[in-house]
Amino acid sequence: MTGRRCWGVLIALFIVMLSMAACGGAAESPDATSAGEGDAACPAPDPRLEVTSTELNLFVWTEYIPQDIIDCFEEVYGIRVNKDEYSSNEEMYAKLSAGGANYDLVQPTDYIVGLMIRQGLLQPLDKDKLPIFDNFDANYLNLAFDPDNQYTLPYQAGADAIVVNTDAVATRPQSFADLWNPDYAGRLVMLDDSRAIIAATLLTLGYDVNTMDPAQLEEAKVKLAELVKGVKLFDSDSPKTALIAGDVDLGILWTGEAAIAQRELPAIEFVYPTEGPILWQDTYAIPADAPHLDAAYAWLNYSLQGNLFWKMLDEFPYTNPNRAALDFAKANHPDLYDAYQNSSITNIPAEVLERGHYIEDVGEATPLYDRVWTEVKGG
Amino acid sequence: MIQRFRENRRLQGFLLILPTLFVMVVMLIIPLTLTVVTSFGQRDADGNVIYTFTLENYWRLIGFTEQGWDDLYLRILLRSLWLALQTTVIVIAMAYPLAYFIARAPEKRRNSLLFLVLIPLWTNFIIRIYAWVMILRGQGVLNSALGGVAGLLSIPFQPLDLYPSQGAVLIGMVYEFLPFMILPIYTSLEKIEPSLYEAAADLYANAFRTFWRVTAPLSMPGVVAGTILTFVPVIGTFVVSDILGGRQVILVGNLVQRQFLDARNPPFGSAASIILLLMTLGLTLYYTRRFGLGEEIAAG
Repeated sequence: MTGRRCWGVLIALFIVMLSMAACGGAAESPDATSAGEGDAACPAPDPRLEVTSTELNLFVWTEYIPQDIIDCFEEVYGIRVNKDEYSSNEEMYAKLSAGGANYDLVQPTDYIVGLMIRQGLLQPLDKDKLPIFDNFDANYLNLAFDPDNQYTLPYQAGADAIVVNTDAVATRPQSFADLWNPDYAGRLVMLDDSRAIIAATLLTLGYDVNTMDPAQLEEAKVKLAELVKGVKLFDSDSPKTALIAGDVDLGILWTGEAAIAQRELPAIEFVYPTEGPILWQDTYAIPADAPHLDAAYAWLNYSLQGNLFWKMLDEFPYTNPNRAALDFAKANHPDLYDAYQNSSITNIPAEVLERGHYIEDVGEATPLYDRVWTEVKGG
Repeated sequence: MIQRFRENRRLQGFLLILPTLFVMVVMLIIPLTLTVVTSFGQRDADGNVIYTFTLENYWRLIGFTEQGWDDLYLRILLRSLWLALQTTVIVIAMAYPLAYFIARAPEKRRNSLLFLVLIPLWTNFIIRIYAWVMILRGQGVLNSALGGVAGLLSIPFQPLDLYPSQGAVLIGMVYEFLPFMILPIYTSLEKIEPSLYEAAADLYANAFRTFWRVTAPLSMPGVVAGTILTFVPVIGTFVVSDILGGRQVILVGNLVQRQFLDARNPPFGSAASIILLLMTLGLTLYYTRRFGLGEEIAAG
């Protein structure tokens, strides 16, 4: 009798679990249908490259490539795409420098490119095989971290700046320094990115974001420790979630995360601080030991085509250096294009770009930065 | 040839342990040796390891630097130990009565009850921890439920600020490691001969005295095994703290991870993991010598 009741409980539990799984499945099905539509409309590759490889190994940021683009590439070229993901440049660097990783393409951010080149982890791009270079806005080419784009191709760009839920916050911060306002304590969300957050602190003190001066870093440490007491959440995986759920009200985020959060919660606004935001560019680069070079070049030319890459505006709305993709969206998806152009989150104003700051590798001083971060969180 | 093989017990024994030996050498001894060697090295400006012999990493970790006394890393180590201690004590307090209840249940029901204890382990650990985020967050399951009850009773209700917090970390840790304490304690309680309780009753021992003189000492091996299965993993765990604690603090696990990633300082990270390893080993040895250890650790 009691045994039977036990089984009853178990069966009930099972049903609950199954129905939850069914709900999860239902939530995902819209994606599946949109991928189906994408299949029907895969644009032809222009130009079509000669490829003998049957596989392509991508090592890319999480949530950064629309599934449609991967599906189309697989369909058009008949190449299987294997995708591994990372959520920090350091993670990617550690895996690549350990050797034997077999990746054909990676997406390093500007500051780590120089280090990867010095360590011989990247190979120069063969520009004869990359007519796609014509797609890009010249403002995003030939930047200091890779003069003449010998090793990298622009992917997406953006900024770390202040995000604020205007429904919950009465006085809106205008600068990084304003975040130290005691009213904000316990309501802050920050990227769990030591370099970005230390850079913001250095800016409030009037120092360079790449300083190697221990005295300046010491000063920044003392100041940052005050702020960290009021930080409720450090998150580089999906900081928008807590913001939308109301666990936190303001903080420092990437542009694209803020744009997606704003779609869900229109009260969310993005503020470029008076000190200037932290700017960055993510790139495509080919590892020195890439086993499927021909497939890598085919991927770069095809996936960045304007009539395919415009999907980024919809799914991952960061700043898009791909002029051809923007033009395609303007002609074919005017609503997406207008949303992109009219939002200061994606279409970063020129004067903001001018006062922005780029993070660079600090070499010898890297442990000093780590020490600051460990101390403000560990003290 | 085959005949000789059949008679050669030593060769048979060697062949039987060969797979395990292979795994131990390839996956334990070689990596551990590499870690030890790296921990005596230094980093260059790009974060490559320079293999030398210096004890500097160890001195820095235990507080002696060129700039003088510095207990930052010791504090991080102590914080991890303190969290592990809190978790273990709470887990013992919660697991013991439950294990006792299951061990004293009618024999045919015991398996179903144990089965219920194990069900959560079917789901991935990370997913279960994220489920706690859903439960504890400001507008989560717990606060909605409490708010609903308060609304029915017309009591003013202030949502509890549970996530992210260090309290949430403790809840997650206790939740995660509870089954690993229940099982070994159950195993040792279940093995106690009922005749011993009868003997205690014959000798006029009351319920409390029976528990204290018979049940508790005989179930000690289970508690010891459960403690090791809980305390040791908890010291190094940082996922729960990262997810439920909002990454507000750095535990020793984060410290090691950061050295290999953001700080690009593998020698320092290696030294930190060796110190953690030695400390855990020391504590475990002391604990098992002091309280004894039955075969329960294998059962758990």
